[in-house]
Amino acid sequence: MDLSRRRFLQAAAFTAAASGLTVACGNGSDSAGSKNGKNLTLWYWGGALSDKVVAEAKTHFSKDVKLTAASIGGDFKQKLTTTLAAGTSVPDITGIKGEDMASFLPNGNRFLDLNDLGFKEISSKYLDWKTKLARTEDGQQIGFPIDIGPTALFYRADQFDRAGLPTDPDKVAAEAGTWEDYFALGVELRKKLPGTYLINNISSVFNMAVGQGTERFIDRDNRFIGDQDHIREAWTTAVRPYTLGIDAKINDNSWNAAIGKSLTTELGAAWHALDIEQAAPNTKGKWRVCAMPGGPANQGGSYLALPKQCRNPEEAFKIISWILSPENDARGFADAAIFPAAPAAYAMPAMTGGDPFFGGQKVIEVFGPAAKATPASYEAPADAAVMAPYMTGLTSIEAKGKKPDDAWNDAVSQARQIARRQGVK
Amino acid sequence: MTSPPVTGPAAAPRHRGGPGPARFRPRRTPPAGTVRPSRRGVVSHWRQYLAISPFFLIFGVFSLFPVCYSLYLAFQRWDGMGTVQFVGLDQFRFLWDDPVFWLSIRNTLAIWVLSTVPTLFGALVLATLLHSVRRFKGFYRIALYIPNVTSIVAVSIFFGAVFSNNFGLVNAILGTVGISPVPWLSNPWLIKLVIALLMTWMWTGYNMIIYLAGLQAIPTQIYEAARLDGAGPIRTFFQITMPIMRPIILFTVIISTINGLQSFSEPQVLFGSNAANPNLGGPGQAGLTTLLYFYQSAFVNNDYGYGAAIVWAFFVLIMVLVVVNWRVVQRGRKS
Repeated sequence: MDLSRRRFLQAAAFTAAASGLTVACGNGSDSAGSKNGKNLTLWYWGGALSDKVVAEAKTHFSKDVKLTAASIGGDFKQKLTTTLAAGTSVPDITGIKGEDMASFLPNGNRFLDLNDLGFKEISSKYLDWKTKLARTEDGQQIGFPIDIGPTALFYRADQFDRAGLPTDPDKVAAEAGTWEDYFALGVELRKKLPGTYLINNISSVFNMAVGQGTERFIDRDNRFIGDQDHIREAWTTAVRPYTLGIDAKINDNSWNAAIGKSLTTELGAAWHALDIEQAAPNTKGKWRVCAMPGGPANQGGSYLALPKQCRNPEEAFKIISWILSPENDARGFADAAIFPAAPAAYAMPAMTGGDPFFGGQKVIEVFGPAAKATPASYEAPADAAVMAPYMTGLTSIEAKGKKPDDAWNDAVSQARQIARRQGVK
Repeated sequence: MTSPPVTGPAAAPRHRGGPGPARFRPRRTPPAGTVRPSRRGVVSHWRQYLAISPFFLIFGVFSLFPVCYSLYLAFQRWDGMGTVQFVGLDQFRFLWDDPVFWLSIRNTLAIWVLSTVPTLFGALVLATLLHSVRRFKGFYRIALYIPNVTSIVAVSIFFGAVFSNNFGLVNAILGTVGISPVPWLSNPWLIKLVIALLMTWMWTGYNMIIYLAGLQAIPTQIYEAARLDGAGPIRTFFQITMPIMRPIILFTVIISTINGLQSFSEPQVLFGSNAANPNLGGPGQAGLTTLLYFYQSAFVNNDYGYGAAIVWAFFVLIMVLVVVNWRVVQRGRKS
């Protein structure tokens, strides 16, 4: 063969240049031309929206546009990031997971401001704290709230009964009003029912306790506050069940096996009910829900957004406001356990019925007030990354018996370092 | 390389003059009659270049460009979408001070040693045994190779269930003989052991096939001569088989080094269901390998610059280890 080394390097350099050029071109082509396209694509993931409502939206708007919905599997955020960075084949409407929203906000210019399209007029229909989380510093509304994840305390009424404790949701909520009362209840349960645990792992308690406050790890001035009292308190709360011996220390998928057996309570968002139901179908009717100790928090809950490349913003906004109208939201709850972000839906028949898994309890009476009482917190783009060392620290306590104070110091120093890496002061 | 091309007049005189293959000759003294590859030569061979071009195009777009681009990213801060900001050597400075990075390196090396040694040793033993087997040869070969072609995710899920702390099969069996449950998936060393076991399970068959091919290439006369000289099976193995197999062993050691240090899917799947921190390698981050840490930094935390710095630092480390390996296995060859 005549391929010399130099020639090979030349060819390689040429190829690299050519591929670089392709990417660069992809970036530049911003379809700023006509904005009244007839074909709209919608990206979401399985369970993000009610498939029935999406199918109806297609026929409902079929005379104006052709809506193509694609359920994207795998790492949704990663795929969306790549597509937005490439700038081609961008969906006209896309879902964004609640936990990813904060990391998309600094790139608000990649999305359309929904307020310009008429969200301002209808925003009062949706929970304010949820809407705020999808708004940039300068007031641009990126996300249209789909659902929320108001948290509550799930408990085994049958086991509470055997331990001689109250089983009525209101009474349990009163008995477990604060974290300390709740843990005391757990100590009693463990005395009466040996081999059972009150909580799954202490990281979940930490997660909830942080969510109950209005501040997290980074404040609005982009300063690290993960070493301050509110986080320290959440940490102390989380470590309590470990020292009391009522922590099951489950950090792997054996939760599936434990949930129907050794766990007496479970902290979780409204959608978590489905996880319990799937993991332990034979405990149907034995579970109840009540308000979470120390007040509600939020876990998850997604948004729909319109990328800048959207081919028909007006029509796209009409579609999303139709899909997410309170009436359709209520149906989403019935179809796919998507808890609506529109409080008006909570009074609709689709949501006020009893849930057989919870012995016919009307769970909306717990989740509805929790949704409205969830505190509005500020979540910085780097928040999730900064939170990770705390979670790791808590699992180290459980797995290796690491001293809680050492774990705290390590977690704070690591969190501070990650924050600095991500440009936090 | 030395076989003459089918077409082209320039190719014919190349093998004239001087002994030995042409490519070992110094370049500066071309033998008489050799035509230097000219533009015309490239053009006249366009079909051949076209035939091999798909590989180079795909390699360039999906490997060469990303590799070069990641080197560029290692000196920037980028969240994947926004503006790329030059930060100089900051990412590497963070890396130097990052205890999690060093932890991940220690984890990776521990898992690598725990998996490569039994894999290669087991593969050699199995290959020797299989070489002397007379019946059901095909069956044994397929049975031992199957773990390598099964999906790594499926195997990881299977191992996760078998070694589960509370409800796993292994602990259930240990329980029947009165041994209390072993925390396979929460003790830092047992986590590494389980991951290493998984990799051993996957890669022993692969290396065995390579060794078997090597064994079959050794002429039987050598063994017969050794037997006539009174060498037993053990002595034959260490004084005949091992020296002849040295280049093949070197190959598998290097391939295993490269593969073993890139463990990612195993801990990712094993601890992916960890509710508190998926992608962080399980309790105490004991299963956090360097590639998993890279994935977590770049794709979960959207810190692409730092992720690129991690992989480039890791690349340097792999290169060092490959050179050390090479030296260790090559040693004694000349003596």
